[in-house]
This record gives sequence, C-alpha cells and structure tokens, in this order.
Amino acid sequence: MITIIYRLILALIVGLVGWNLFTEKKLTMQLNAAMVLIPLVLRVLMVK
Amino acid sequence: MTKKNYITAALSLALAVAIMIYTGMNFMAARDIPWPEQGPSVTDIKLLSDWFPGLKDTNGDTWVYVLQGQKPGGKMLVLGGTHANEVSGYMAAFTFIETAVVEEGTVYVIPYTNHSAMTHNDPGEGNLQYFTLQTKSGERTFRYGSRATNPVDQWPDPDVYVHYPSNQQLSGSETRNINRGYPGREDGNLTEKMAYGVASLIRAENIGLTFDLHEASPEYPVINATVAHQNAIDIASEGCMNLLMQGIDMALEQSPVNFHGLTHRELGDYTETMALLMETANASQGRLRGATTLNQVLGGWDDCYVLSQKLGMLYVPWDENGHPIEERCGRHLQGVYEYSQAYNNAHPDTPITYSGVPSYAELFLNADPAKLGGAHLGSFLM
Repeated sequence: MITIIYRLILALIVGLVGWNLFTEKKLTMQLNAAMVLIPLVLRVLMVK
Repeated sequence: MTKKNYITAALSLALAVAIMIYTGMNFMAARDIPWPEQGPSVTDIKLLSDWFPGLKDTNGDTWVYVLQGQKPGGKMLVLGGTHANEVSGYMAAFTFIETAVVEEGTVYVIPYTNHSAMTHNDPGEGNLQYFTLQTKSGERTFRYGSRATNPVDQWPDPDVYVHYPSNQQLSGSETRNINRGYPGREDGNLTEKMAYGVASLIRAENIGLTFDLHEASPEYPVINATVAHQNAIDIASEGCMNLLMQGIDMALEQSPVNFHGLTHRELGDYTETMALLMETANASQGRLRGATTLNQVLGGWDDCYVLSQKLGMLYVPWDENGHPIEERCGRHLQGVYEYSQAYNNAHPDTPITYSGVPSYAELFLNADPAKLGGAHLGSFLM
C-alpha cells in the first residue's frame, strides 16, 4: 500500500514538473525541470 | 504556452534523456569487471554458488580461484574485495593468484568477496571508477568499487540494521556491508547470502585458515593492524612477531566479542576456521583527505595528510612519501605468508606452503622509488 502511495505522489510531482517544463519561459528553468523530471519518471516506473 | 516554449522544453527534455542514456551506459559498463589471469598454480575456478546455490544468477555470485598444491596439506582462504574500495585488499588477491606456486595444501582466493560492491562506486565521495597499471602483458584496467553492495541489487536500506543472529543494531546502510553480515543467512538479503556463501565454502572445504584483506582511513585507530579471533591468537602472535622482526609495524588485536558481523568474529564463532583480518592505510578513504586522485589512491600521496600528521590527527605515520600500493599489498602478502607459516608450525600434519609471491621487500623496500605507486606492482602481474 505504501508503495502505491509513494508512486502516486511521484506521479503528481511528475505532472507538476512536466507542466512547469512546458510553461516556463526561461530556458535555464526548463533545463532544470527536464533534469529533475528524468529520475522522477524512473522512480514512478520503479526503475532503480 | 507558446510554440517557442514547446520547442525549448522538448530540446531540454531530449538533452536530459541523452545525459541519462550516457550515464546509464557508463553505470551498466561497471558491471563488466576485470578478473585475475590464471597463475601457475590455479587448478580450478569455481563460483561461490557452487557452495551455496542461493547465489546462482545473482550479482552476489563471485569467482573462487582454487590453487591446489602438488602435495596434500591444509586449506587456506584469502578474501580480497570485502570492501571494493579498499584497493590493496583485492590487488593483493590478484597478485597472489597470478604469482603463487602452491607446494602443499590448497589455497582458495576470492578477489571480489562482495562482487556486487565492485559493480558500482561512490561518486558522492569523488571516487574513481577505474585505474590502469602497466603489467607484463601490457596495460590492464582495474576497477575501484564501493564499500557496500550495489543498491540496484539490494534496496532500500532499513532505518536500523539488525544483525542476524546476534540482534546487534547498526545504522541502516550497514545492511549492505558484507563485513557486518557474517555468518550470513540462507534466506536473508543479498549481502547476508554472500556472507552465508563464504561461510558455506569454509565449512564444506574444512578451511583451516582464513584471511580478510582490508584498508582503512588514516584517522581510524585499527590500522596497520591484524585482528584475530581468539582461536587464532596464538598463530597471529607468532606471525606478528616475525613481521615486527622484519621491520613491518603491525599491531595485533583480539577480535571484540560483542562486535558482530565481522569475519574475524563470526567466521571464528560459526565455523572451524582460524580467522584473521588485516588493515593497511588508504588515504582515499579518509575524511581529512584532499581531492581524490589516482596518485592519492595508488601512491597515498596527499598534502592534507602530511598536514594532518603534523597536527597529530592520524593513527599511522604520514609524510611526503605517502603509502604506495606496493607497501600496502606487500604488508598483506607478507602477513599472509608469516601467519600461514605460524599455522604450519601449529599444524605440522596439514601444512600450507607456497612460493613465488613477492615479499614485502621485493614489492616495496627494494623497489625503485620512482616506480612506486603502481608501476612496480604492475611488473609482477601477468
């Protein structure tokens, strides 16, 4: 159960960071969001 | 959202994915680790899972080199790479495998006792991934691993690690430290299974003498030392005296009864072997070190430690000459020799004798100082 909650929280953060990636106007912030997004997506997929 | 935003966002994402793929490939390549060449006495190369099938097809399974002598005798086990960032431990095992000519008895050598730990490293410590040495056959690459099992193989760590069977409590990350996992358990986590595999080998082969080769940071009190289980303290005392008479500064400590999970405690308690552990000084493990460089790892050359010595903060002498890998491997190999000689004196019916392994003098004392720091060690390797 705790793993499902963990993945749901991660999925929410992935959604928010993804939204941020495509709405952010500054390139540096977009790069920042892209770098943060990758490990979060891997964790949602339970890829270590 | 504008079209421009979409394009830059897609490019940013593509860049991040490209970095992930590149670093992922680098991480996966670390699983391809170098092994020793077959020395003159290697008669068989087995897997630890031959003694404990529970390790089969896991990243904890590891090669065991069997060096059988011409005459029967006793049996000895040498563990290198218990901690895969303690270079002299596994390089001494490599040197033994590639040079030893066993005359009586059988010697088992495991170069990477925690195989999983050799398949990653600690980038947060600024550690190296690889180093190279010029050997008889040309340039060879060696790995620099981590102290603990790869988290890809065993994850996550608990908040508190409870050792089996003592119930001693340690910090959670110690659950991936094989030298806190002995005697191991058949149905435990991967690290406990690896420890169980080593104990199974010792029991099945009736190993009389076991060495565990380590390195420690210069700020750690147990350094340039041998730790012996109480059942091995007599031979350790005799061997230690012989080392001291050769000018090798070696402290001898009896294994603490209440410090569980270590080879020198649990292998002595749960098997019939005489267990000894040796420590040399590795600058690249310490908290007071400067930048982690190849010279620091192989030469022990580090200005921060020279300063630390002057401030009286170290447990081992340190100057501009550092502690090169030849000195550290030489200590281990001479230690194995002297302690095995003491074992033979106590067990004349089951001797373990060998020759060909470079001595402390050959590796270090008589070496050209310009070749210390890896070049001289490489000249003994195949």
